[in-house]
Amino acid sequence: MKNMFFKKKNFTKIIASALCAAFVLTGCGGGDTANKSDAVEKYGSDTLKLFNWGEYMGADLISNFEKQFGVKVIVEYFDSNEMMYTKLSAGDSYDVLVPSDYMIERMLKEKSLMSLDKSLLPNLENLAEGVKGLPYDADNTYSVPYFWGSVGIVYNHNNVPKDQVEQQGYGILKNTDYKGKIYMYDSERDSFMVAFKALGYSMNTDSDSEIQSAYEWLKELNDTMEPVYVTDEVIDNMMNGSKDIAVVYSGDAATILAENEDMSFFMPNEGTNIWSDAMVIPANSENPKLAHEFINYVLTYDASYDNSETVGYASSNQQVLDDMSAEGGLYDGNEAYIPRSGYDKDEVFEDNEVLRQKLADLWIKVKASK
Amino acid sequence: MKKSKLLSKAYLLFLVIFFYLPIVYTVIFSFNSTRSLTHFESFSLRWYEKMFHDSTMTDAIFYTILIAVLATIISTVAGTITAIGLSKSKHIVKNIVGQINDLPIMNPEIVTAIGLLMFFSALNVKKGFLSLLLAHIMFCIPYVILSVSPKLRSLDPNLADAALDLGATPWQALVKVIVPQIMPGVISGGLIAFTMSFDDFIISYFVTGNGVTNISILVYTMSKRINPSINALSSIIVLIITLVLVLVNVVPMLKERKGEKLT
Repeated sequence: MKNMFFKKKNFTKIIASALCAAFVLTGCGGGDTANKSDAVEKYGSDTLKLFNWGEYMGADLISNFEKQFGVKVIVEYFDSNEMMYTKLSAGDSYDVLVPSDYMIERMLKEKSLMSLDKSLLPNLENLAEGVKGLPYDADNTYSVPYFWGSVGIVYNHNNVPKDQVEQQGYGILKNTDYKGKIYMYDSERDSFMVAFKALGYSMNTDSDSEIQSAYEWLKELNDTMEPVYVTDEVIDNMMNGSKDIAVVYSGDAATILAENEDMSFFMPNEGTNIWSDAMVIPANSENPKLAHEFINYVLTYDASYDNSETVGYASSNQQVLDDMSAEGGLYDGNEAYIPRSGYDKDEVFEDNEVLRQKLADLWIKVKASK
Repeated sequence: MKKSKLLSKAYLLFLVIFFYLPIVYTVIFSFNSTRSLTHFESFSLRWYEKMFHDSTMTDAIFYTILIAVLATIISTVAGTITAIGLSKSKHIVKNIVGQINDLPIMNPEIVTAIGLLMFFSALNVKKGFLSLLLAHIMFCIPYVILSVSPKLRSLDPNLADAALDLGATPWQALVKVIVPQIMPGVISGGLIAFTMSFDDFIISYFVTGNGVTNISILVYTMSKRINPSINALSSIIVLIITLVLVLVNVVPMLKERKGEKLT
């Protein structure tokens, strides 16, 4: 009698009801198929496959695009360029990707990107000055910037005097007054960038002696300052004021400053890394026309505003940039919103396989030494 | 004597609190009206509403449950049949198949994930629902076989023969004699398979495509900023699992009591 519950009949009933519950819970998806045939006629297909960073789009971006053009967008998310690259190398085809600058450079070397048809991208004229002429693709032949920013120091101005930060720059991360109160970014590229800049070297250096010095700089920091290595947790932690100093991306800093009045942002005089994420079309895209349409759409004022408002990163649309930082704008007075541009000590990451490998190996040693 | 009982009860209580406090915390803060995870402002169902309106989340829930249920059923059936067949095979076949069976369990998941990724690419299988389902079935079957095999070893080998002698067809002998006896093993294998499939991340991430995601992938890609809708999602999952566990454990007890009352 004990096994009566598990008899075949009951099992089927239970599973059937579970499936029904699942269906009901998720509801039926209604589709507006009115414009479907138009889209197929115009673009060849009505589906766009987008591969983007997680939490990197405005709340209504996708649904507005779908409604306006009568198409469907399938979005997949990645959380690092390397993960994106791995999935791509397995042969998955997407229509629009949003990789970072160094990854775009790498993909250009491998010839896996499609060159853009500028006649389909009239909104390119909306591009902000700060993202034009980026070294990896100066004429926007293959990429259209999506967000950009820099890396800087977020600090609690109640506990850390402003002029001290400005005077010491990255050196403040080794100021033992703040021992145990700093966050470092758990990324070899960004942390080594800090070390290189602090020592006055280029962050794309080839010199083994400079790399060794940077390694020792970081090791000393690790041993004397008790830093906590974080990635995206730094945003929430600094919003709660858990520590006094952190190395943060400018867009994340803008969010932190907006939520916590005690925090300020500073881009050191030693220079920093100017990064950008840009939209590209892979060579094996099945729907390039629709992909162009999407890129063009993102550059419109409304879409860019939605993006920048939700994510907090600096938009690639000049007008949005101006409006956000103008009087009464969302990020008015937020010194982290617009990255510095035109400063000669700021650099863009170059794709260097050898350097990358060396830094990866040394970074493990930095964190391990104690 | 009394003191040690009190101590052991206190210890048990401490363990229970240690395990469940984070979950209770998550559930409480899923009803918070603000984003904060440290200050509870006021009660609100805001994040639950947001979650149900977000089609990405509801799709992810749907796919997770569907894949888990399908993979569990298929892998349980396939695994049980394999285990029964193995128990009657030659020693060397048992050894070889047993070792192959152990590989997915011992392999680090990332190795299995990349292996499956390359396998599907080589065969030009378009990644999507089917590739995800196949991958889940693949890594669930070993657990079922491992659960069922011990039960088979404790089986009386003559019972099935007796059934055949008494006029049962082979199918009837299988379903009415062998299977009921190994049922506990099959059930536990099925539950393990469901658990492995429901919370799988790394294998799912690499073999899925075409917009099919599951809850683990969604939570992972949303880890940048704390999104309280994730709390709402987690609370609902906790609720469902608690209900299922209560049903699985309480209902047989109730039926037994009913049976006792009748006799």
